[in-house]
Amino acid sequence: MNQSWVARRVRKFALLSAAVLALGAQLSAASAEDVIRFGAPLPITGALAPEAVKQQQGYDLWAEQANKAGGISVGGKKYKVQIVYTDYQSNTPRAVQATEQMISQDNVNFMFGAFGSGAAKAASTVSEKYKVPTLAATASSSQVYDQGYKYLFGTFTPNDTLTTPLTKIIKAKVPDVKKVAILARNDLFPLAIAQEMEKSAKAEGYEVVYSEKYAIGTLDHSAALSQIKSLAPQWIFVTGYTNDLLLVRKQMVDQQMKASVVTMIAGPAYQEFIDALGPAAENVSSAAWWHPAEQYDGKDIFGTTANFVKLFKAKYNSEPDYGQASAALCGALFQMAIEKAGSLDRDKVRDELARLDVVTFFGPVKFGANGQINSLDPPVFQIQGGKPVVLFPQAIQQGDLKIGVN
Amino acid sequence: MQAAQILINALVLGCLYACIAIGFSLVWGVLNVINLIHGSFIVLGAYLAFGLYNALHVPPWYAVIVAAPLFFVLGYLLQRLLLNRVITAPVLVTLTLTFGLDLILNNAMIYFFKADYRKLTLTPSLGSVSILDVVVPVDRLIATAAALALTGLLYLLLRRSRIGRAIVAVRLDRDAAVLMGVNVPSIYAIAFGLGAALAGCAGVLMALIFPISPLTSSAYLGKAFVVCVLGGLGSVSGALAGGLLLALVEGVGSTFFGPSHATTLSFVLLIVFLVLRPQGLVGRKGFE
Repeated sequence: MNQSWVARRVRKFALLSAAVLALGAQLSAASAEDVIRFGAPLPITGALAPEAVKQQQGYDLWAEQANKAGGISVGGKKYKVQIVYTDYQSNTPRAVQATEQMISQDNVNFMFGAFGSGAAKAASTVSEKYKVPTLAATASSSQVYDQGYKYLFGTFTPNDTLTTPLTKIIKAKVPDVKKVAILARNDLFPLAIAQEMEKSAKAEGYEVVYSEKYAIGTLDHSAALSQIKSLAPQWIFVTGYTNDLLLVRKQMVDQQMKASVVTMIAGPAYQEFIDALGPAAENVSSAAWWHPAEQYDGKDIFGTTANFVKLFKAKYNSEPDYGQASAALCGALFQMAIEKAGSLDRDKVRDELARLDVVTFFGPVKFGANGQINSLDPPVFQIQGGKPVVLFPQAIQQGDLKIGVN
Repeated sequence: MQAAQILINALVLGCLYACIAIGFSLVWGVLNVINLIHGSFIVLGAYLAFGLYNALHVPPWYAVIVAAPLFFVLGYLLQRLLLNRVITAPVLVTLTLTFGLDLILNNAMIYFFKADYRKLTLTPSLGSVSILDVVVPVDRLIATAAALALTGLLYLLLRRSRIGRAIVAVRLDRDAAVLMGVNVPSIYAIAFGLGAALAGCAGVLMALIFPISPLTSSAYLGKAFVVCVLGGLGSVSGALAGGLLLALVEGVGSTFFGPSHATTLSFVLLIVFLVLRPQGLVGRKGFE
């Protein structure tokens, strides 16, 4: 009884908001002459909501900057940027529906991909069908790009590009590393990274003495860590999210575990990780697709990495991470491609995207034949003196690897 | 040696689990209320410890002295003003009410403290003690000692004090307690206040050990729930027994089957208990 009342209310509310949205779309369509519309299906509610907020921040920052500069210039005429958001409620089939609706009813010109690899792949079938160029900001799995699609592009390199350079650095700088222990959160991305790490480690001839996963929501890692300690690996590699990694790192200190190298993905990319751990974060290494400590001088609307970070901080009062930066980059890339094409013709813009070979605040951008970026060397970094220091790629290197994590 | 380490880890973790669960067990046992706000109380306690340490350098073991009365008053008022109104209704109503209160408290914390993970880092850090090759972190030892002390205090309170006897009497037979002149609504409020105080103290102690964020409340609540089912409701020793059993199963399961199966194993155990021994390890219908 109660439930049906709630359901009715929800339905009513949904209908009402749909009507308001439709009205809004009509109104803006009436004055749509000088507007370019970008569709962005995002998981604004549900389990992935925090990630959606990040992507939205990236898109909004770009739209604000583009509009502040008068808009995107197409053949001498300025067009304002408008981003059309749809909430697909962290539900992949809905992401597909939302994409269909945006293209066929909301008349968007171009699309941003849905969040993550799974949803982006699913939704890309629709944008491919309608031949709408789509930029995916957070899809790293190569399976997204092996469908032979022509209109899908992505700004994350494959997962192994995070682990391979890391392994090469350790191989070169820390010769006493022989045994590697891997502990991974049993979750899509952390597990994928751990699997790549295992491959990279084996390729370099390391012995993987421990490779296990822990359940989501694990409150205690002491048993796993005791076991790892007894195996005495020189390199301990842990994947998970900030809360997991804080706990693991704390328990490592508790158990007086020492190793030449401790790598954690993806916590150290976030300032809160460093703040929360204090000295225990020291010398922990990591890798990400982008880092605010990078120093690129880009040709895009944001220019230098430092300028992007400054603009982001001014708007959101926090340090940007790779998710937000990649979303903003997708906007900036569309802008460059459209301006080069001098037209809103989807095929022409698609060809310009495919032809891009440019340095941006995010790094050099060039898409491979499959649409996935292949020009980027994701940075390897290490926490030194409470700050992330970039170790790789060489062009933006800020320091050398420090050995030993206590 | 590794076996000894795993055993010690489990013993200490078991006491932490007991600490998390004991207030939950008391409220469930006495009031028959499944208090879903318990996890958020723990997190609030952790923030209190975090704030006191960072603003005034009050270490968490003293913060307990502040937290206990504060959370007692909070719990007492909550029960008096809200929960007592629906306490005689079916269990689903109180469940829903505490669920709603939990949503409010949890989102208020997200609003005021943000969802970022924080960590109470003592300077200088407490470090660990090692005997032979077995290492035990001092902060966990402190939390363990405090958990045992709180458990002991609660046991004495329920056994020796007038209020404690009244709580037990209400638990055993509400109607008879009324006839004996026990002010039941007041006893309910005191029991809920005690439960909240225990949650707050647990939070203060957990701040030393776990990352602090409103998002962790469900993890605490989940552990409390499992511990209560394993140990048995309402009895003081039940929480301790349940906590130790859970930690032991997780530790051994993690070592032999890998950490991802530790949780699976603990839930298999939960189901086995629910089917074969629903009263838990040491649970009784009433308690002394």
